[in-house]
Amino acid sequence: MGSPRTDWNGPSEAAKIQPTQHVSEGPEQCSPLRRLAREPLLHFLLIGIALFLYFGRSASDDSEATRIVVDQAQAEVLAQQFETTWHRPPTDQERAGLIETYVHDEILYREGRSLGLDRDDPVIKRRVRQKIEVIAEEIVSRESPGDAELAAYLQANPAAFKRPTIVSFEQIFLGPEGSGGLERRLADARRALERGADPGSLGQPTLLPSREDSVGVDLVAKRFGGQFGAQLETVPLGQWTGPVVSSFGVHLVLVHERVPTALPSLEEARPLIAREWESGRRKRALEENYRRLRQEYRVVIDTTPTGSAQK
Amino acid sequence: MQKPSVLLAAIASAVALVVVPMISARADDDRPPPDRVITYSPYPEKNFPNRVYFGDTHLHTSYSTDAGMIGNRLGPDEAYRFARGEAVTSSTGLKTKLARPLDFLVISDHAENLGLATAIVESSPDLLSNPWGKEQHDLVRQGGRDGAIQAYDNWMAKMNARTDPFASNPGFARTMWNRLTAAAEQYNEPGRFTALIGFEWTSMVFGNNLHRNVVFRDGKDRADQIVPFSQYDSLDPEDLWKWMAAYEQKTGGKLLAIPHNGNLSNGLMFDDVTLMTKKAIDRDYAERRMKWEPLYEVTQIKGDGEAHPSLSPTDEFADFETWDRGSFGPEPKTKAMLPREYAREAFKRGLAYEVKLGANPFKFGMIGSTDSHTSLATTQEDNFFGKVVLQEPTADPIRFEEVITGRYAPKGSQIYAREASASGLAAVWSRENTREALWDAMARKEVYATTGTRLMVRVFGGFDFTAKDLDRSDFAEQGYRKGVPMGGDLKAAPAGKAPSFLIRAVRDPDGANLDRVQVVKGWLDATGKTHEKVYDVAWSGGRKPGKDGKLPPVGNTVSVKEATYTNGIGTPYLAAHWKDPKFDPKQQAFYYVRVIEIPTPRWTTYDAKVFGVKLPTDVPASIQERAYTTPIWYGPGS
Repeated sequence: MGSPRTDWNGPSEAAKIQPTQHVSEGPEQCSPLRRLAREPLLHFLLIGIALFLYFGRSASDDSEATRIVVDQAQAEVLAQQFETTWHRPPTDQERAGLIETYVHDEILYREGRSLGLDRDDPVIKRRVRQKIEVIAEEIVSRESPGDAELAAYLQANPAAFKRPTIVSFEQIFLGPEGSGGLERRLADARRALERGADPGSLGQPTLLPSREDSVGVDLVAKRFGGQFGAQLETVPLGQWTGPVVSSFGVHLVLVHERVPTALPSLEEARPLIAREWESGRRKRALEENYRRLRQEYRVVIDTTPTGSAQK
Repeated sequence: MQKPSVLLAAIASAVALVVVPMISARADDDRPPPDRVITYSPYPEKNFPNRVYFGDTHLHTSYSTDAGMIGNRLGPDEAYRFARGEAVTSSTGLKTKLARPLDFLVISDHAENLGLATAIVESSPDLLSNPWGKEQHDLVRQGGRDGAIQAYDNWMAKMNARTDPFASNPGFARTMWNRLTAAAEQYNEPGRFTALIGFEWTSMVFGNNLHRNVVFRDGKDRADQIVPFSQYDSLDPEDLWKWMAAYEQKTGGKLLAIPHNGNLSNGLMFDDVTLMTKKAIDRDYAERRMKWEPLYEVTQIKGDGEAHPSLSPTDEFADFETWDRGSFGPEPKTKAMLPREYAREAFKRGLAYEVKLGANPFKFGMIGSTDSHTSLATTQEDNFFGKVVLQEPTADPIRFEEVITGRYAPKGSQIYAREASASGLAAVWSRENTREALWDAMARKEVYATTGTRLMVRVFGGFDFTAKDLDRSDFAEQGYRKGVPMGGDLKAAPAGKAPSFLIRAVRDPDGANLDRVQVVKGWLDATGKTHEKVYDVAWSGGRKPGKDGKLPPVGNTVSVKEATYTNGIGTPYLAAHWKDPKFDPKQQAFYYVRVIEIPTPRWTTYDAKVFGVKLPTDVPASIQERAYTTPIWYGPGS
C-alpha cells in the first residue's frame, strides 16, 4: 500500500462511493492497474489514440488521393477510344502510351482540383453543364418514341403535319385582269366548252401547265401565285368555273378531283412525325430538367441597373 | 400532173367520209356505259419533263468552317427547314421565312475541316483529342472577339499552307460528314422537296478561285462510303475528277461537279492549259471535263459571269453585277484574263476547240445559286440576307462597306459587300421532284440560271418548227418530237434549212413583268475566228428597233425613295418562233436564250428605305433580273 497521494484528499462526502461498487475489486483495491485506469494521463492518451486512429484513416485517404489505379477495365476503355478513331486496336507500345497519357491527365487534374483550379472556369462550367444536359436528355426518354407517343404528338401538332388539299384540275388562261376583250373571251370560251371544244385549243398558251394531276394546292399556289391555289379548294367539282384569278390573270378551271386536307395517319407519316418529335425532344428534355432544378434554387440578382434608356 | 392527184384526193376524201363514220360507229359500240364516271390521266405514255423546279445548289451552313467560325449558328436542319418554307431565326436573331419554298436544296459545305465550328461549340472529345483542335477550341470558348479571330486566322493559315490539322484524326471528318448526309435523308421528301447530298471542294491557287460543288445522285448509304475530297488532298480539278471516278467505281453511284466564279479565277477557270503541268488541253481533257462537269454556276452572290462588257461591247445588258477587279489573292485583274473567265466567251472558244480537238471542253449547262454562308437561301432583292452572317440585314455600315475580295491586292482592286448580288437560282426541267430526276436533268443539261427570281423559260430548237407550233397546247411534246430542248445538239442541217427555235417565257408568279426575250448566238467562221450576236426575238409593248438596230429600253417604274415598282410596263408572258437569219450550215454555233425582266429595286435600295442608310452611288439603284438557258449547240458533222 502506497502512501495516500498528497494532492488528493480523498473523496468528498458527496462523492463517497458505496463499498458494494468495489466489491469485485476487493483485495485489488490498491492494484497498480486500478490506479493506472484512473490516471487522467491514460485517459488523455486513450483519447489521443482514438483521435489519431480517426484522423489516421483520413491520412490513408490522403494516400488514396495520390494513388492512381489503371486496371484492365480502364485499359480496355482507352483501347476502345483509340479504336474508334483509328479503326484498329492499339499496338502494345501505343497501349502503354495511352495509359501514360491517362495517368498524366489524372495527376495534373487532381493537382488542379486540390488547388481549386476547376472552380470559376467558364470552359469547365460549360462542359459540366453539357454533361448534365446529356444526362437530362437520357432521363426524359431513353428509347425511340413508341406509337402512342408519336400519335399523341401528331394530334397535338396538327399544323405541322396537315397534308394540303390535293387536286386534279385543268385550266384555261384568258389574259391579265382588265385586259381588253376579257369579258368576251371568257364568254366565248365558256360557249366553246359547252359545245365540247378541246380545252387545249382555247385561251392563251403560257408555260403554266394546262393540266395537273394529284398535286397539293400549296404547289399550285407556288406556280400560279395569287389566290389561285386557295380558290381550287372551294370551286365546284366537275364543271368549268371562272373567273378564277392567279397572279397572271383570269382563268377558267375544271377541278376533276379533290381530296380535302387531312391529318395523315401515323403509318403514312411516321418518318416525318418521328423526325419532328426528335427535334423537339432535346429541347423539351432540357427545358423540363432546368425547370425542375430551378425550383430548388433561390437566386438573388443583386446588381445596380445601368439606367441606359431603350431606343 | 395536177388533175390526177386532185382526183385521187377527191376519191380519198369520199372514201374517208363514208368509211370513217362506220369505224366510229364501231367504236361507239365499245364505249363504256354512260353512267360510269371515268377519270384517267391523258398522258399515260408521256415521259418528257413537264415542270420546272427551282432550287439552290450552293448553300453553306455552320458546318462550313468559314461560316461557323464567323458567327453562323445554323446547321443543316435549319437550312433545310428554311428552304422548305418554315420560319427560322437567323444567326443574328432575325425571324425569317421564305414567301415561297424552294423545290430542292444542295447543302454544299466546304470539305476542308468540315464541322470544325460545330465541334468547337460542342466541345467534342474528338476535337479536343487533337492538340491543334483543342487550341482553337480554347481560343473560341474563352469568349470575346479576339480569341475567335485568332482561331479563324489559325485555320486560314493551315488552309494556305495546305496542311490538314486533322490529318491524324480521319474519324473526325467522317463523323461530321455522316451527320450532313443524315440530315439530307431526314429532309428529303420525294415529290415535295429534294435534298441532294453535296459538298464544296475549295481549290484556291494563290487566291485564284477554282472551287467546285460536287452533287450526288445517291443517298446516304453510298455517300457515307467516302469523306469529301478537299483542297488538302489536291488543288487540281483533274484530281477531283479522278476521285469522282473512284467513287463511282467503288459505290456504283453517280457524281457531277459544278465550278463557279470564273470572275475570281484570274483566267484559270476556262484556261487553255492544264493547271499543274501547263500543257495545252487535249481531247481527253475536254472529254473528261464535260463528263464530270456538265454544269457551270454562272450567277451567284459573288457576281454574274455570263458576259463582260469589254468582251461584248454592243450588248447593253452585258454589264450586270460585274466583278472584275481581281480574285481573293493579291493579283489584280488584267484584260487578258477575261476571255478565260466568262461563260459566253468560253462557249465561243469551245466551238474552236470542237474543231481543233474533236471535243468541246466548254460545253456546259448554266445554273445560278447563292453561295450563301448564312444557311439561308435568300435570292430576292427584298429578302437578301447577305453572303455571311456579318452582313445579315442591319443598318451597320458593314453590310455595305466590308471588303469581300482583294484584301491583299493593291488599292483599287477591292470589291465591297454592297456589290454582292442577291442571286441566284438553279431551274431544272424535270418530270418529278426526286433526287434521281433532278440529278439526271442536270447531267443532261436541261437546266437554266436565274438571277434569283422564278422566271420560267423553255426553248426547243429544230429544223422543222413553224410559227404555228408555238401556240399548240402540246407545245412541249412537239418540241421534243421535232427538235431538242436546252442542252441538246442539232447536227447536219438538211439542205436549205436553218434552225428555228420555239421559246416561251413567263414571269415569276409573284414577281416583275418581262421586258424582252433574246437569243444569243455564237459561231465560228471559216478562218477560226469566233463571233457573237444578240437578237431581240420577243418584247413587251409596241416598241420597234431603232435605226441602230437596238430595241428601246422598256422603261422604269421603280421609285428609288420608296423601293417599289409596278407591273404597269412589260408583260407577264412572251413567246417567239425565231429562225436564224444568217445561218451557215458549215459553221459550229450555239444558241442560248436570255430573258430580261423590267427594272426592279436592287437590294441596296431596299436597305436604304428600310434602314434609312445612305444609298451607295457606285451600284445601280435598280436592276433587270434575268434568266440564261443552257445553249443548244449546232455542229455540221453527223
